[in-house]
Amino acid sequence: MQKNKLVGSVLVVGGGITGMQSALDLANAGYYVYLVERSGAIGGAMAQLDKTFPTNDCSM
Amino acid sequence: MSFEPKIIAFCCNWCSYAAADLAGTSRMQYPPNVRLVRVMCTGMVHPELVLNAFNQGADGIMILG
Amino acid sequence: MEITGEVGNFKIKIKEHPRYVDMDKCIACGECATKCPKKVTDSYNAGTGKRKAIYVKYPQAVPLKYQIDAENCIWLKKPGRCGACAKVCPADAIDFDAVEKIHEIDAGSVILSPGTGTFDPSDTGVYGYGEYPNVITAMQLERYLSASGPTEGHLVRPSDGKPVRKVAFLQCVGSRDKNLCGNEYCSSVCCMYAIKEAVIAKDHDPGLEASIFYMDMRTHGKEFDEYYQRARNESDVRFIRCRVNGVEPEGKDGDLRLHYVNEQGQQIEDYFDLVVLSVGLETTKQAMELAKRSGIRLTSNNFAAVSDFAPVSTSKEGVFTCGAFSGPKDIPQSVVEGSAAAAAAAKVLAPSRHQLARKKTFPEERDILAEDLRIGVFVCHCGSNIAGYVDVEAVADYSATLPGVVHVERNLFTCSQDTQDLMIKIIQENRLNRVVVAACTPRTHEQLFHETIRAAGLNEYLFEMANIRNQNSWVHTGDKTAATQKASDLTRMAVAKVTWQGPLENVVVPITRRALVIGGGISGMAAALNLANQGFPVDLIEKSKVLGGNGLHLHNTWSGENIPLRAARMVDQIMWHDLITVHKDTLVTAAEGYVGNFKSTIKSGNGSEQNIDHGVTVITTGANRLMPDEYGYRQHKNVVSALEFDKLYEIKDKHVRKGKSFVFIQCVGSRDSNHNYCSKVCCTHSVQAAIELKEEDSSRRIYILYRDMRTYGQRETLYKKARELGVVFINYELHGKPKVTKVDDILDVEVWDHVLHRPLLIHADMVILATAIIPPAGVKQLAQLYKVPLDGQGFFQEAHAKLRPVDFATDGLFVAGMAHFPKPVEESIAQALAASARAATLLSRDEMTLDGIKAEVDPECCDGCALCVDVCPYHAITLMERTGDDGQNHKLISINKAHCKGCGLCQGTCPKRGVSVAGFSLKQLESQVEAALAV
Repeated sequence: MQKNKLVGSVLVVGGGITGMQSALDLANAGYYVYLVERSGAIGGAMAQLDKTFPTNDCSM
Repeated sequence: MSFEPKIIAFCCNWCSYAAADLAGTSRMQYPPNVRLVRVMCTGMVHPELVLNAFNQGADGIMILG
Repeated sequence: MEITGEVGNFKIKIKEHPRYVDMDKCIACGECATKCPKKVTDSYNAGTGKRKAIYVKYPQAVPLKYQIDAENCIWLKKPGRCGACAKVCPADAIDFDAVEKIHEIDAGSVILSPGTGTFDPSDTGVYGYGEYPNVITAMQLERYLSASGPTEGHLVRPSDGKPVRKVAFLQCVGSRDKNLCGNEYCSSVCCMYAIKEAVIAKDHDPGLEASIFYMDMRTHGKEFDEYYQRARNESDVRFIRCRVNGVEPEGKDGDLRLHYVNEQGQQIEDYFDLVVLSVGLETTKQAMELAKRSGIRLTSNNFAAVSDFAPVSTSKEGVFTCGAFSGPKDIPQSVVEGSAAAAAAAKVLAPSRHQLARKKTFPEERDILAEDLRIGVFVCHCGSNIAGYVDVEAVADYSATLPGVVHVERNLFTCSQDTQDLMIKIIQENRLNRVVVAACTPRTHEQLFHETIRAAGLNEYLFEMANIRNQNSWVHTGDKTAATQKASDLTRMAVAKVTWQGPLENVVVPITRRALVIGGGISGMAAALNLANQGFPVDLIEKSKVLGGNGLHLHNTWSGENIPLRAARMVDQIMWHDLITVHKDTLVTAAEGYVGNFKSTIKSGNGSEQNIDHGVTVITTGANRLMPDEYGYRQHKNVVSALEFDKLYEIKDKHVRKGKSFVFIQCVGSRDSNHNYCSKVCCTHSVQAAIELKEEDSSRRIYILYRDMRTYGQRETLYKKARELGVVFINYELHGKPKVTKVDDILDVEVWDHVLHRPLLIHADMVILATAIIPPAGVKQLAQLYKVPLDGQGFFQEAHAKLRPVDFATDGLFVAGMAHFPKPVEESIAQALAASARAATLLSRDEMTLDGIKAEVDPECCDGCALCVDVCPYHAITLMERTGDDGQNHKLISINKAHCKGCGLCQGTCPKRGVSVAGFSLKQLESQVEAALAV
């Protein structure tokens, strides 16, 4: 593999809390990110939760 | 004419202001007497601001944060 | 999806399904869904409610754009039949002719984060799910409890809508049960979510009775045990240790009957009106398909296979995984892995950083300070969202009369691209120097308009929004007069506020592109290596004379990887790395500075001191083991700690070799009043050691005395294997601890047997204590040096338990490994990688831009009383002295804008108007209030 062929972009498959975190950290570090999500909106399972431990914060 | 109070609400950008926005998204109805003032944190609401508002005719003040 | 190519240069084909709604046109007004005649079961609400065939997934969805469910849309099934949405859409956004698109993407690396599904109990039939309406899953309960759910947070019975009085949670449904569901692993999260749901349900209705039926309470995370205790003691949630065998209907009203055996061994029959199945996590079919297409290996439990030392790397180079796809895990650990995968990908792609990133450019800013006030007001119709409930023409006419306003415009959609272009033209043509947009909400649209006015050559802060949609037209739909009045008032307030707004400068802070990592254990080494491999120089500080930390003394990870071997390999890589400077036998003695610009003083054992400039700090100081003072430890030779046992086993000590009877005692020093938390790794360790002893000599009698067996996740397979090998597990409670006495050469261990309901006496050749993990000495001083908090137990406190698990509240500081909380190797390494990824977001640039909403001192008014210094939560204010024109010394405060977050606690505290937050100054807020009350 030649270094000059290295593509400075990352594909992230899945727009839940985990995929969003990956995408944000990579974009903020200077990489182009493609974030792909199956459903019509990002957020994943966490967006379905009512509140979360320990602060009972809303999950949004 | 019935009493229509004037209420000032200081709302934190990160919680109560966002909640007021969400109330709109959910189409929750409430009386139109309240005027929201967005602040970055309710900690920035100086006591003088509250007293002045009463002086100028506010009937109630809410600090939500 | 299709992946070809290799690491550094993958080619991926992706299919985009049509939404049938034009994203650029949709304004999310919801008219379409109101008119859509087709009702569909809502999967977002886990089937507890209905939605329409045209819908947004949930009210806060991003993007907030509607979509059509092609499976259920009447038109798409039979064109010409309905089309109601297209008729009512004010933005002309419906596009029934949309087709799927294929995208071809070049990417250097791929991260798979498909998440997890939940076990579907419909097929098992055992608990009556699908048959009895009042048996629901935990996700369904989650939706019932949610204010945005089908019952707006009221817990009612699905059968008759009556309020629930008595609810039972059944744990491990679809987990830890090979026979019933095929999933033998523990799902790791269900104990905590059941407790949380029980507490929240009881908060909502204090009269509710909640019971949780469990096998082992696995609350092994940070602060989890305390939450469990609060649920038990304060919220009065009942916890019953037993597996319920079945759920039966009682009468015709939908009540449910449960049979179980309580801890006293009695048969109990109890009635509930709601039974919640705490369903486990499992990989979805789609995720398995994704794994297949990506060519990565799965474990026998259908999770992505990873190594404990590379917890986010799949079997295919350049393809990474994170979250519950590689094993059941909770939100914080998933977020950690999200960052960790970013770090792992960045390591591969470091030479191509910034290659494809794009930067926006803006024209030169116009100097407006000498200009007269020229305010432009833009009133948005938002289709009919505002115009339908507010007389926008009247608002616009009124705005034109306000002082300073020179131009008023109405727009159908102020946020649309063509209006943005129009705005720029209007600002330039009319030489506007302040802009007010009366529209939706600044929370979603302020940034957009900032960019628009910047593009018109104005300072981006010369802007204010009046929220006349979310906080007006949408909440006063029945009273147009009042809503119009309020819209005019809100616009007047915005104009009043922007009048006092001057241009603000964004704060630019330079960044020293070096990292300081404190602690040379496994976490510290992992963080240092990843950062260095991303191209950033690292100083690695280690207190002792060797690198490796606890890793040198451990045996195997749960999956059997040798820890000292791998640790030694990491030490090697570090010593040979050009970008890592190792400082052994060294402590940090002083620290100052802030994100991007820290200066630390380090002192080595020989007394030499050195200053280090660094942009970020990663704290990986690890943890120690507790020295117990119970069970005859240090009195009897054959009572040893787990780590000592490992050493004895390794050197084939004769007491171990010849031993026939071994007793492991769990929770020695953990989960008691001194250390009220679970040390997380000890159950797995004891089970592993028991298996090895048993496999060596199956005639050995091995007992594990435990409180809750916490072999979470895929570790459960070890627990199962140990039981199959004949290891005896005996549960004890905190109030009935085992007793160890020495009689001649034999140790007698006495413990209460909960199955036989009588005391049990075990003769043991060796007793092994699973001792607690405690914070090391010296962390308090370190915490003070960097002004970061410790939690109640003495571990470092992260910024947010869920969403910022490796950040500190102060920017530029990160924590990883056992410094944060006891944890096994793979979680420590994931955290270390995550800290590295978070640090790299700062180190990858020369400078960072912070917004201009910062506190400013008015030197005329500040008298240096310093009241604000103490209230500032970010330590951004210091007291200074300066010599005034009169030659006298005056005190006054100075604000570090890199630290300031613009919260304004200083402004609220100052008795002299000496400090104010730019953009929210007292003057501005006063003008707003005055304007609000003016009529």
